[in-house]
Amino acid sequence: MRVYQCEDSLEGVCTAIYRAYEEHADHQDTWIRTDQELMLFGEYIPVESDSERAEKVLRTLRRSFGQEDLERLGMALTTPEADKAQAVYRTVVHGLRTRPAPGHLLDHQTDPYILQTFRLAKKAGREFGQLREFIRFRELEQGILYAENCMKNDVLPYLMVHFADRFPQEDFAIRDIGRELMGIHPAGGDWYLTGSHALGEALRQTGYSVQEMAYEELFRYFCHKIAIKERKNIDLQNRMMPKRFQKFTIEFAKKGENC
Amino acid sequence: MCYIYIEQMFITENFGILEKRRFLITRFRDNEWRRRMEPLEIAEEKVQIQVQGVTVDNSSLSLMEKLGILADSAKYDVACTSSGVERKGNGRDLGNCVKSGICHSFSSDGRCISLLKILMTNECIYDCKYCINRCSNDVPRATFTPEEICRLTMEFYRRNYIEGLFLSSGIIESPGRTMELMYRTLYLLRNVYRFNGYVHVKAIPGAPPELIRMTGFLADRMSVNLELPTAEGLRELAPNKHRRNILTPMRQIQNGIQVNRHDLMLYRHAPKFVAGGQSTQMIIGATGESDYQILNVAESLYQKFALKRVFYSAFVKVNEDKALPALPGGPPLLREHRLYQADWLLRFYGFEAHELLDEKRPFFNVMLDPKEDWAVRHLEQFPVEINRASYERLLRVPGIGVRSARRIVAARRSARLRFEDLGRIGVVLKRAVYFITCSGRMMYPTRLEEDYIVRNLTSEKDRVQFGSDGMSYRQMSLFDDGQYSLQPQQEDAYRVVTGQL
Repeated sequence: MRVYQCEDSLEGVCTAIYRAYEEHADHQDTWIRTDQELMLFGEYIPVESDSERAEKVLRTLRRSFGQEDLERLGMALTTPEADKAQAVYRTVVHGLRTRPAPGHLLDHQTDPYILQTFRLAKKAGREFGQLREFIRFRELEQGILYAENCMKNDVLPYLMVHFADRFPQEDFAIRDIGRELMGIHPAGGDWYLTGSHALGEALRQTGYSVQEMAYEELFRYFCHKIAIKERKNIDLQNRMMPKRFQKFTIEFAKKGENC
Repeated sequence: MCYIYIEQMFITENFGILEKRRFLITRFRDNEWRRRMEPLEIAEEKVQIQVQGVTVDNSSLSLMEKLGILADSAKYDVACTSSGVERKGNGRDLGNCVKSGICHSFSSDGRCISLLKILMTNECIYDCKYCINRCSNDVPRATFTPEEICRLTMEFYRRNYIEGLFLSSGIIESPGRTMELMYRTLYLLRNVYRFNGYVHVKAIPGAPPELIRMTGFLADRMSVNLELPTAEGLRELAPNKHRRNILTPMRQIQNGIQVNRHDLMLYRHAPKFVAGGQSTQMIIGATGESDYQILNVAESLYQKFALKRVFYSAFVKVNEDKALPALPGGPPLLREHRLYQADWLLRFYGFEAHELLDEKRPFFNVMLDPKEDWAVRHLEQFPVEINRASYERLLRVPGIGVRSARRIVAARRSARLRFEDLGRIGVVLKRAVYFITCSGRMMYPTRLEEDYIVRNLTSEKDRVQFGSDGMSYRQMSLFDDGQYSLQPQQEDAYRVVTGQL
């Protein structure tokens, strides 16, 4: 049993898939893992991430499966699950063997690996959707928009793509507190990721702009006024907006309280 | 080119003031508007409005007060969706649109907050009996200036509070004047503030068609409220509104969308007219229409007016009026819920209104959802074999939705499905199990009998009411009371004592 041990990233997993094909591995007896857990009778092969090889794999996957399916594979790899790399690897093997039409890679859901990839992609996709909705930017003194949140899945790059398209002329930064990662988008430029600890703390120390509190108060008041009291249903509200997101939104935080 | 020519001609003839705005476009580039914006405190523009001969001075209200009044007045409008349009950012302006729509928050009534839902003004010359803003009501009045709306939208949007703007309005002076103000706001928002996000705007019945057309080129979705399902109801409760006036702009928007589709086929960059389609809303429970009538109206709106959505709004009694019904139990939320479920069945599941209800049973079942209700009345069509049935037949099985039906059809191409696979695929087996077979077998022995299935489909706590007294789930009657698990509340007891049932 061959086990490719790679870095926990899209690039790492793609490089491992490249190696598995390059070395003509028996796919039924090959594993790709991103964690350090050892398997009995495993022949461990460490894999160094290689952007050129990863790019080749991504190009093949895009050509074979289409952009939509490629994004779903990428989304599955953002989850913290231990078996994600194996699920994605076996899904890719199945896809390259059967050549499904674009958008149909994950159709064969009686296969446990494909089902797992589907589940992981759905789970991460849901969180991405929720963060896209519930992230709140606050304007700092310099005019920078700053948001922070705790993300279960590593979906920050997807968020950056979304917001860079939405706010092309804004300086903004999004911080993933758990992973200490920060995405930075300079106005009119390309976004990038960086370690966030020092930068995030520095930004937190910076005061808010003159109008920030006024607009926060306006929105809080708007949310209060838009509710119909005869239809009050707090359970539904909590179901639609989980509490772990509520604490980062300004309409649920108390007046003057930091998110 | 044709559109630009019309636009210029129209603006020159009717809105001299917009000539100035055009000049502003050349001055404000990209996000320069923000640097030039006035601070909040001094932005209160003096607006004087002539309503029924009374001059209202609006300048004393702060932005916060105006927002409070105008959001409070707009909250009875149901539509708050931002779906239907996929528009990438253009690299310069603020905003993009996502086809599925994005909800940014949820208010304490559980409804989503996707758009900045406000009225332009809550001044109104009409006297609709159900409306909080009717002219005979003594409520605080306010009017936003177009600049205030634009500024709020931009600032809320860039903080990711909202997905765009929902602009409605009371009728100020005349429908034409109101529509003109709304058009001016949208023009400013799109061309001066360069907002590229979602905009939903109400078309005011009775406004000049040119204005509605011009507004349609700036909005992503337009809607005209049908208000009440039937013309009789409208006559009774909204004497100033006429069915024909409501349907005319609806037809105009429908035609405009169709013409625009052809234009877009010829010229890729032709301006888009109401790209997200149009919607409408009806108030449920203010007049005596049955669910069957309401559903028929909705169906004909979908078929004849090509609407994207029909929204149902459970009537909330905000005015005391003898023409309005007393609703001791609060707004008819369950009825509204059942109508939405049936609406989904019409739009995505291939059902027709006459299949779900008819004149003999004009109301929805309280205990079962419309699909379950249909299924138990058509047991001759079940069980359905999962591995062979067509997509359309799968859609009619309770517990199988559009997504799970698609996944079943996709997955069974490569392997025979078993019950455990169905659970993973997302089928709600608790409901579906009575109606399906996998490879010719049911999951466990069940009887294909109406009463047996209904007893199992309804929840444990309500099951007791189908007891030995011969009561049936089929139709609620006046005497179906005693055995509900819901106990009377203190308010009910008070109403009984004071005779206000």
